[in-house]
Amino acid sequence: MMDESNPYLPYIVNIEDAWYETPIGDRAVKTFKVNFTDDKVWDTWSHKPGNCAMVGRLGIGESMFCISSSPTEEGYLRFSIMQAGKVTSALHDLEAGDTLTVRGPLGNSFPMEEWEGKNIVSIGGGIGQAPLRPVINYVRANKDKYGKLSVLYGARTSDLHCFKSEFQEYQEEGTECHLAIDIEEEGWKNFVGFVPDLLLDVAPSPENTIAVTCGPPILIKFVTQGLEKLGFTADQIYTTLEERMKCGIGKCGRCNVGSLYVCKDGPVFSYATLKEIPEAFA
Amino acid sequence: MVDEKKLREKAKEVLARDDVRRLIGWKRGTYGYESAPVVIKDASEAEELIFDPTCVQNPASFITLEEKPPVPRGQEPDTRKVAVMVKGCDSRAVVQQLVEKAYPRDGVIVLGVPCTGVVDRRKAQKMFGDTSEPVLIKEEGDKFVFTIDGETKEGPRAELLADKCVRCRFPNPLVYDELVADEVAVWGADEFTDVDEFEKKSPEEKWKFWEEQFSKCIRCYSCRNVCPMCYCLECVVTKQRPQWTRRSTDVSENTAYHIQRAWHLSGRCIECGECERVCPVDIPIMTLNRKMTRDVKEMFSFEPGIDVEAEPLLSCYNPQDPEEYIM
Amino acid sequence: MGDYKFAKDKLAEVVGALKDYEVFAPTAVGDVLRFKQVEDASGVSLDYKNTNVPPKELMFPETETLFKFRVGQTEIEPAVPDESSKRLVFGIRPCDAMAYTIVEKLYSWDYPDPYFEGRRSSSVLFGLACSEPVPNCFCTSMGGGPGSEQGLDALMFDLGETVYVKTLTDAGEEAAKAMGLEAAGDAEKKAAAAQEKEAQGKIKRTLDTEGIPEKLPSLYDHPFWEEFSDRCLSCGICTFLCPTCHCFDIQDETEVFNGRRARMWDTCMFPEYSLHTSGHNPRPTRKERTRNRISHKYSYFPEKFDVIACVGCGRCINYCPVNIDILDILEKSKKAEAKEAKTA
Repeated sequence: MMDESNPYLPYIVNIEDAWYETPIGDRAVKTFKVNFTDDKVWDTWSHKPGNCAMVGRLGIGESMFCISSSPTEEGYLRFSIMQAGKVTSALHDLEAGDTLTVRGPLGNSFPMEEWEGKNIVSIGGGIGQAPLRPVINYVRANKDKYGKLSVLYGARTSDLHCFKSEFQEYQEEGTECHLAIDIEEEGWKNFVGFVPDLLLDVAPSPENTIAVTCGPPILIKFVTQGLEKLGFTADQIYTTLEERMKCGIGKCGRCNVGSLYVCKDGPVFSYATLKEIPEAFA
Repeated sequence: MVDEKKLREKAKEVLARDDVRRLIGWKRGTYGYESAPVVIKDASEAEELIFDPTCVQNPASFITLEEKPPVPRGQEPDTRKVAVMVKGCDSRAVVQQLVEKAYPRDGVIVLGVPCTGVVDRRKAQKMFGDTSEPVLIKEEGDKFVFTIDGETKEGPRAELLADKCVRCRFPNPLVYDELVADEVAVWGADEFTDVDEFEKKSPEEKWKFWEEQFSKCIRCYSCRNVCPMCYCLECVVTKQRPQWTRRSTDVSENTAYHIQRAWHLSGRCIECGECERVCPVDIPIMTLNRKMTRDVKEMFSFEPGIDVEAEPLLSCYNPQDPEEYIM
Repeated sequence: MGDYKFAKDKLAEVVGALKDYEVFAPTAVGDVLRFKQVEDASGVSLDYKNTNVPPKELMFPETETLFKFRVGQTEIEPAVPDESSKRLVFGIRPCDAMAYTIVEKLYSWDYPDPYFEGRRSSSVLFGLACSEPVPNCFCTSMGGGPGSEQGLDALMFDLGETVYVKTLTDAGEEAAKAMGLEAAGDAEKKAAAAQEKEAQGKIKRTLDTEGIPEKLPSLYDHPFWEEFSDRCLSCGICTFLCPTCHCFDIQDETEVFNGRRARMWDTCMFPEYSLHTSGHNPRPTRKERTRNRISHKYSYFPEKFDVIACVGCGRCINYCPVNIDILDILEKSKKAEAKEAKTA
């Protein structure tokens, strides 16, 4: 776990492997598979799906990213990072063999114990699939504890789909998978349309089901509306939010949505919680 | 002298127009020697407008401060005009903003308020002490008459005027659609003697002076935010890629910030003095700006904020310019 | 604890006796007062209202190094302040001391902040009770007062020729002994109590905070916020000079060989504070930011920590260049009719 005597000190990690999920260019997504340089960190490390970490480079800075691997994937952590600004561009310059800093685990996590016995529907868009991946892998590794797992995922084009090979794995083992792209593409035989439309098309039943969604704010908004239309109640819908963050431990003040700090009280929130906060849907 | 009743009538007239969205003026402050800038949207609010020697703020800053967020789908942007009340010094800001095309001339309605000087709050506090009740100030000849906590007190105008007013050459607005009072006689002259005096210091003395001043800076950027000429959507000090000035408050970064700002204002600063007034740690920012203003006047025979038809001095170039490069 | 006194004209001696401490006292540069380390005890005076910049900078400096590193290498050298060093803050006002008790709740929340803790735990607070409140003080409405003891190790009362010192903690006792103070009698205690009562009466501005934390979120969409946000400069003076404002930025700085990660004061009034790299800003205009600041101090913070994040020092009112007055805002919020909060 984090150094309790000084929560501002990061761990140094080695990049075991790094690869692009999407074509190289602006807003490309690159995945890093990392391991602590100091093995002893694993002795006290434990994280859950939904936890995040501040990832960065000394001399550049840090930004908050979800830990994109489930705790059931042992011996490494994964982060999938979209290139957008100063820190992410500096991270994209790194390759296997380089080091970066990780400070975490931070934030709260998806209530996986509470969800035992239920069906899980994961609805993701674009890079929003990164925090859903650990949920999916955790459920897959604990199959007998959960009901049916369905995965809905869409991106603007098939190129921009993240974790392409993993979706094939899900399908091969029999997990229900629905993929979508925004506009027609030659050779694409699956759903064409936005993720909220895909949701209404698949129309999962709310009976004993938890829906987890993540993506751009607009996607979360319409998916939530769609889920409510399908009969999901607010406490059956979970999401994970993001804000600009610096300290990651609820002290620098900037990431608040109403009275909740996204880095500490979140980033995982149920829609039932967010409904009470006017700023959440401003 | 400005008749406040007439001022409010004019304001009501303007606000009653279909094509006016808001009016920026002054209202009574909540305590002491303060007035507050106010943005009103309805003629019924015009009764709170005032004009007296407490009205030191520059309403022109608020024209460019207003954000223009994207309009929700299905709605049209509100293109109605903004009305603004300005003193002589404030009107120079409007002129310079128009010269720089910050907004179109027909986007604003300027109500000019000829001014005979404002009181420096600090000087008044030193003379009469502080109070939590709003203070009324009236000008009577060469005196200011204060009503403080029900009592009347007087002080000589010369000792209470803000420094910028002592040397004011533009008490009458330089651009206006209507004047709310008669124009007043000019009383001030400016030989930049303060800049001359400062320049007599040796380089070591100057550096020691500024090191002490800039080490006080807390980088609150109030000087920048209150300035009517600082309206860049992305200020150079907030850029991260690349980062020109660090956020840490050591004297080197603070110095860089202030010198940067003085340079960016050269040929543009209209000497409203607000930057120095708002600084919570009393940095004499106007000293830097006045040095640039004096140099611009001597080198280019140019004063910003006077002529609406002028071209912005340092952002235009002419193929006949003698220099070989744009800098 | 103990009751002590010293003659005011012996002030320099008393402060000078604190040789084992780093003493901080209000120091003037022109009209500006700030707490600085005392070089010459004869310069210390009890004759002042309050400092421009609050003594929060002694516990939470404007800029401080979190850790250092060498460019291109991965060793990290933390720069946590030394808890064993002895510091004494001389002449801190009760409102500013109470502010530490409020900010501490956040800094020790879950992950204790070692930088703040290091400075705070090594500091002895020798307060100075107020005899003449400044016009915009409203400490009595925020649970404090001109003679409030919250957060202090000792409290001094300037009685004219004598200064009465009441020690409140062991650390205060230790410092009083080091200063060589003599015992005080009933006369001083009575005079101090009378001064405190008189000072309380001099506070002109008051606010009944009952119900404000609960009401503010219901006013989220209310247009009354625009009356203030329209004329806000978004300058940040209110936050930088507020003793309970604690927000900061973290930046990495490098020179050719050396680097550091530093934190420095930041303000929720700047648009960059919450700006996402994508360009999305959840608080793009001054309306959202002013509403967020007031709501944070008077509603969100009390919701988490049971205390309003304001001590009534009045600096935000005194230094706001456009006379945005927090008491005005809060009074108007009480009168505003709550509407249903908008949800998705």
